[in-house]
Amino acid sequence: MEPDTQGSGAGMAKTITWLVVLLLIVGGFVAYGGKAGTKKVEEKTPIKIGVLLPLTGDAASYAEGARNIYKIAVDEINAMGGIKGQPLELIIEDAKCNGKDATSAAQKLVSVDKVQLILGGFCSGESIAATPIATEAKVALFSPGSSSPDLTGISPYFFRNYPSDASQGRVLADVLYTDKGFKKVALIQEQTDYALGVYKAFSARFEELGGTIVKEEVTTASSDFRSQLTKLKASKSDAFFIDTQTPAMSERIFKQVQDLKWKPMIVINDATGGDVTLIATYKDLLEGGITAEFSSDPNNAKFAKLLVDYKTQFGADMPYQAYGQTEYDAVYLIKDAIEAVGYNGEKIAAWSRIVKDWEGASGKITIGENGDRIGGHTVEVIKAGKKEVYVK
Amino acid sequence: MTPNMDIFPQLVANSIVSGAIYAVLVLGFNLIFSTAKFIDIGYGVMVVVGGYAGFYFMKMLGLSLWVGVPLAVLLSGVLSLAVYKVVYAPLRARKASSSVLLIASLGVLTFIQAIVAILFTSQFQTLANLLPGNPTLEFFGGTMTAIQLVTLAIAVVLSLALFLLLRFSMFGKALIAVSDDEEVAKMVGINTEKNIGFVFFIAGCIGGLAGLLIGFDTGIEPTMGLLWLLSVISASIVGGIGNLYGGIAGAFLVAFIENFGIWKVSGEWRLAIAFTVLLLFLIWKPKGLFPR
Repeated sequence: MEPDTQGSGAGMAKTITWLVVLLLIVGGFVAYGGKAGTKKVEEKTPIKIGVLLPLTGDAASYAEGARNIYKIAVDEINAMGGIKGQPLELIIEDAKCNGKDATSAAQKLVSVDKVQLILGGFCSGESIAATPIATEAKVALFSPGSSSPDLTGISPYFFRNYPSDASQGRVLADVLYTDKGFKKVALIQEQTDYALGVYKAFSARFEELGGTIVKEEVTTASSDFRSQLTKLKASKSDAFFIDTQTPAMSERIFKQVQDLKWKPMIVINDATGGDVTLIATYKDLLEGGITAEFSSDPNNAKFAKLLVDYKTQFGADMPYQAYGQTEYDAVYLIKDAIEAVGYNGEKIAAWSRIVKDWEGASGKITIGENGDRIGGHTVEVIKAGKKEVYVK
Repeated sequence: MTPNMDIFPQLVANSIVSGAIYAVLVLGFNLIFSTAKFIDIGYGVMVVVGGYAGFYFMKMLGLSLWVGVPLAVLLSGVLSLAVYKVVYAPLRARKASSSVLLIASLGVLTFIQAIVAILFTSQFQTLANLLPGNPTLEFFGGTMTAIQLVTLAIAVVLSLALFLLLRFSMFGKALIAVSDDEEVAKMVGINTEKNIGFVFFIAGCIGGLAGLLIGFDTGIEPTMGLLWLLSVISASIVGGIGNLYGGIAGAFLVAFIENFGIWKVSGEWRLAIAFTVLLLFLIWKPKGLFPR
């Protein structure tokens, strides 16, 4: 800065400038603060719900569907008069499917927006990272998509209406070992909480039965798996389990499996199994492959209506239907919770534990003492690019 | 697991594949380093620009490969030149140190990467389905796809072309002069400013081309620039930073180490092994295999 050598004239001008700035700030506060105050009287303040979604990155494809489904549910609730006259409002933050970004997003929702309830995270890594923040602030954390077994009983403030992968890993291991008679499975695992959870549940059961697993791990950022795949191919395993966080990652692996002229019997987890387009694209590679999903029931009236509404509003088929059904239900569960116990994180979390046979688009929801949804995954087999329920 | 010999040919093939792409990239990197004399991190983002320009021209606008690829390469070159004119040239005119230029180039990478992410989202995209066909070919028990062979061919042709350009053209002679001593080059009447600008253009084109090849082979994301750049810097240091042909040797050496390093240990060690080798070089052979 230049030294002030112009004397008192410049000094005076400076003082006036600062005074004007001060006036503007104070005036602004008074004017806008006042406006907000009058608004309160005119219309009911919305109930602000925080939302954590992977808006960007490989997992962004999940977030698009989730955001649309939340919008459908919130619009429906608000059209019917909201919750005791107060409309619902979602504040959506990008958790990028990783713990670091989920932490800062959750912190923002808790301390800036002062929400009592966060809907999310979607990825297990997001939920695991956001749980301590929610617990500390006594805010309820409600995930409709995180399925890692590590979230079971993690905090009294966490609950989910999507079942734990403990069941996914178990049913896959049972089918592969007992039904198919596979003794050795090659497995590639992405280094994320969700994929790790699936691996842990699968390996625990598969090894307990007497099978062996040849495992390689990859980071989310990697795109060249050729040498790892080369090793897995050489292990001459009975099946190849692709345990990734996102369909985008699986697609990279599918392509390189093809490049290596490898035609293994492929097993995919529910994160990839939910992507119908990808399965149709790689139908030759995946023929006879196996996946396990938390299945949806097309005969469920609420679910059927959701499918139609999604198509009419967004002009496309609802993606990832297993998640879509729980996302839709989550918004209505929130409505019921707030109506029952008020907008209070602690009370909502306690209320969640008494949810029993709640009728939703995803069937009857019962949430246990550990915050997990009771229920499980169904094994499916891929035929001609489509999934069918597996029968022995 | 028990490692067995029959994966040997495939590991060689995998190493050649990743070595080829590193080699293409390291040519552009060393070209900039040898003339402008700083580690240009912004070079990494040209890979992203090339890949996404290809994605835009060919996937969104539906242009053919014959139009889309040259356009994308050209765009990366022009952008690289523009970055030089707007950011690096003024800094160099002010005699900014090479560490200031390095920081500025990190800013360039972050800035352009963010713009690409805003325009195209950070979703992973592949250009593979633009190819009319990408047959997998077998050689001595290893497989390579057609596009991987094309990448290898491009690495060879590009090295030869640069060799001829530097050896026999006036521009090449001017560059060698600039690279030896910029001040003296100026004194003998070489327009150093214009020549370095041209270097940035060529390097941008090379980076963009690499981005397209990566997109065709695996896929692209806005944040991939720095990851590729790290491998390229390793290759360059191992080969002798600033030495064009040493860089190519470094590229293949790094690729072989990355792919063979995990032969007997699990694959998550890949980067750890690659960077251990880099550290060893920095400590015991800091000028690389072929010092300039």
